[in-house]
Amino acid sequence: MSERRLSPNLVIGAALVTLVCGVALLSVIWTPHPHAVINVAQKFAPASAEHWLGTDQLGRDLVSQLMVAAGNSMMVAMLAVGVGCVLGTSLGLLAAARGGWTEEAIMRVSDLGFAFPALLFAIMLAAAYGPSLSVVVVAIAFINIPIFARVSRAAANQVWHREYVYAARAAGMGRFAISRDHILPNIAAPVIVQATIEFAVAILTEAALSYLGLGAQPPAPSWGRMLSEAQTLMYLAPQLAIWPGLCIFVAVLGFGLLGDGLRDMTDPRLVRERRA
Amino acid sequence: MSALLSVEAVTRQYRLPRLSLFRPAPMLTAVRDISFTLETGQTLGIVGESGSGKSTLARLVMGFETPDTGRVVFDGQDLAQLSPAAMRAARRGFQMVFQDPFGSLDQRRRIGWSIAEPLRAQGAGGDHARAVAQALEQVGLRADHADRFPHEFSGGQRQRIAIARAIITRPRLLVADEAVSALDVSVQAQILNLLMDLQDDLGLAILFISHDLAVVSSICDDVLVMREGQVVERGPVGDVLTRPAQDYTRTLLAAAALED
Amino acid sequence: MIEVEGLSITSAAGPILRDVGLHVAPGERLGVVGESGSGKTLLAMSLMGMVPDGLSVTGSIRIDGAEMCGADESAWRRLRARRMAMIFQEPMSALNPLRRVGDTVAEPLIRHLGLAPRAARDKALALFDETGILDPERRLSQYPHQLSGGQRQRVLIALALACDPELLIADEPTTALDANVALRITRLLVRLAEERRMGLLFISHDLAAVSRTTERLMVMYGGDVVETGATAEVLRAPAHPYTAGLLSARPSLAAHGKRRLPTIPGSVPPPQELPRGCRFSGRCGQEIARCAAEMPQPVTTAPDSWAACHLLQARAKGAGA
Repeated sequence: MSERRLSPNLVIGAALVTLVCGVALLSVIWTPHPHAVINVAQKFAPASAEHWLGTDQLGRDLVSQLMVAAGNSMMVAMLAVGVGCVLGTSLGLLAAARGGWTEEAIMRVSDLGFAFPALLFAIMLAAAYGPSLSVVVVAIAFINIPIFARVSRAAANQVWHREYVYAARAAGMGRFAISRDHILPNIAAPVIVQATIEFAVAILTEAALSYLGLGAQPPAPSWGRMLSEAQTLMYLAPQLAIWPGLCIFVAVLGFGLLGDGLRDMTDPRLVRERRA
Repeated sequence: MSALLSVEAVTRQYRLPRLSLFRPAPMLTAVRDISFTLETGQTLGIVGESGSGKSTLARLVMGFETPDTGRVVFDGQDLAQLSPAAMRAARRGFQMVFQDPFGSLDQRRRIGWSIAEPLRAQGAGGDHARAVAQALEQVGLRADHADRFPHEFSGGQRQRIAIARAIITRPRLLVADEAVSALDVSVQAQILNLLMDLQDDLGLAILFISHDLAVVSSICDDVLVMREGQVVERGPVGDVLTRPAQDYTRTLLAAAALED
Repeated sequence: MIEVEGLSITSAAGPILRDVGLHVAPGERLGVVGESGSGKTLLAMSLMGMVPDGLSVTGSIRIDGAEMCGADESAWRRLRARRMAMIFQEPMSALNPLRRVGDTVAEPLIRHLGLAPRAARDKALALFDETGILDPERRLSQYPHQLSGGQRQRVLIALALACDPELLIADEPTTALDANVALRITRLLVRLAEERRMGLLFISHDLAAVSRTTERLMVMYGGDVVETGATAEVLRAPAHPYTAGLLSARPSLAAHGKRRLPTIPGSVPPPQELPRGCRFSGRCGQEIARCAAEMPQPVTTAPDSWAACHLLQARAKGAGA
């Protein structure tokens, strides 16, 4: 019987995230029109029953493009944050478990990672391998590693000084087994919260990189690239910039609120009220 | 026959944060030149205030830290000389009970899991569930408690659970670091009695660390009074309590006494 | 100066304090002893007008003759600091780590008493001196982390004394301190209460600390006052089975050597599972039929002393008949 009310942040965030993810998933099997079909005769069509939000400068259906772009954004954010989270958390756990020079080395290298601008890294990658969504994924994952390493190391170091960890050491458990059995489950909450927030940042970064032409290449739609293409048509067809902008806003806000809400909810004193 | 535990001239220093770039970091001597022995079936009390080095001493005996000089010898083996694998095996022989019955159990794990942890760590075969049930009954709980979570128990019950975990490997030495300090008086007596019962049944040696001289007086054979990392007084409990040689011991006595 | 009668505090789940009465006159030192769940901290909070939201308070709390039960926050605020003050268990968390302790103590002097900064500083210095802070001049400009636990507790006492309160409520003020520091703090509290003719309400689970600090004693269990009387008398000859059990379960220095201790069986039940009658029934060992069902009435054991126990009641009746 849990009487605790969920925070509005959590509810609104979860609703927006569900909406964005739902649309992204739907775009895989269905869009109102094929998103890449050009129909110059229909260019700049206003909103209508056939084209719900109208068409762009090449007569492509706007709703379909936004939907596919949502899928691309989610995919990029999920891969990038997932890879960054797994690698970063592993490094953080290792640093906390080993201590000494291992910890020192991992944290100093991750300081370097922090100091390195993502944009510069993405440009270098794009120069070497050509611009693509993969470049965006690698760049975002790379900047996420030190973030997760730092968060997980700080949390893990606290858990290492809990008495139940001393008890496990007294029992003869090795450092790897303790990290797996005790440390990881007990730092999961802050890491998940961080992941949600980084998800929002990743969507924004993907949009920024695609806006600069380093990310999604035509015809793959992306909110960032749609914005950059709409830029020159600002006075002619402002809706072409407004809709993708709004999508970015909703997705980032959703993940941001969800992260905040989760952080409130996983307050350690309130974690897991279970009764047998 | 040599003693079960022998601590020989142990010193442990910590490096403090530097105060100046140009001078070496100051050192804090947490424990200075301490020696004692503990025999099977005996209880040695270590009394001192916070900062007296008694918890450092516990960590040294448990092998969580190694002394800068001196040796900690358990059952004839110098702990600092053991390989990690040998150390893990040796841990079967000495276990620890902590102060905070809320902190020493992982809140996310069923207590049966926590109690069996030393067995898993030792790679012990056999029926863990039965060993857990037996340990629970030994500390006055029921076997079916194994499926519950720590928050379903009171402070005293949690301390019993922690003791069950400590005795499941049939250790020969139990280190109790302020094991009853966080408990209510009425529960404290139950846990002290339990420790004495287990000592009789299992032939445990107990290293009992506390700031409370009254508690120490009721469970220990000998006592060692520590202050600022050094032993200031030692002897059988009766002697130290009736004829304290040091002002410091007299202060501790006054603090624990009921005013007439 | 403070008189409490029939004070009960009830949450949605049931009563937390039942029918508590006490009075503290100027210069008087009253101890409240109880284990976790006894309601002693909530009692202290209610005397400062700081009962958490969602709890209903009934009964009477008269401070200098004025009825404060049900009074609003602004009425309480006029009394706090000036009429009564409180010190807490943890001296570190009760001080702002970013402020010099001298400024912390001077602030209420400037705000409540309207002293000029200069005069407030002098008064703070005098308070530091009075509470036995070593080298008070230098301490004024130090931060909390530069002080030891005992010195911090003295700063908090100085802060509590700033506006010359008539009652000082001390909630477990020695629990977080080392034994010899705790000893000196209790002596300080006794001296201050005597010199200033200030009432002292000393709350603790530590019988030794209470025995050397207070003249009268109130023993609480599960939200009820079970026994009250002169401290020395209660500890010498406890009338209530709980007080007796607590005293014998406590390891004593007098009889040393390894021995089994008498125990009180079980542990304090969670508030919603406390028995409806005598709160101690179920753990008592001397129960009679009505203990669990009926709340026992106080039985006078000596002048100004009583214990609430059905056994005493039965015995008193037997003697009267």
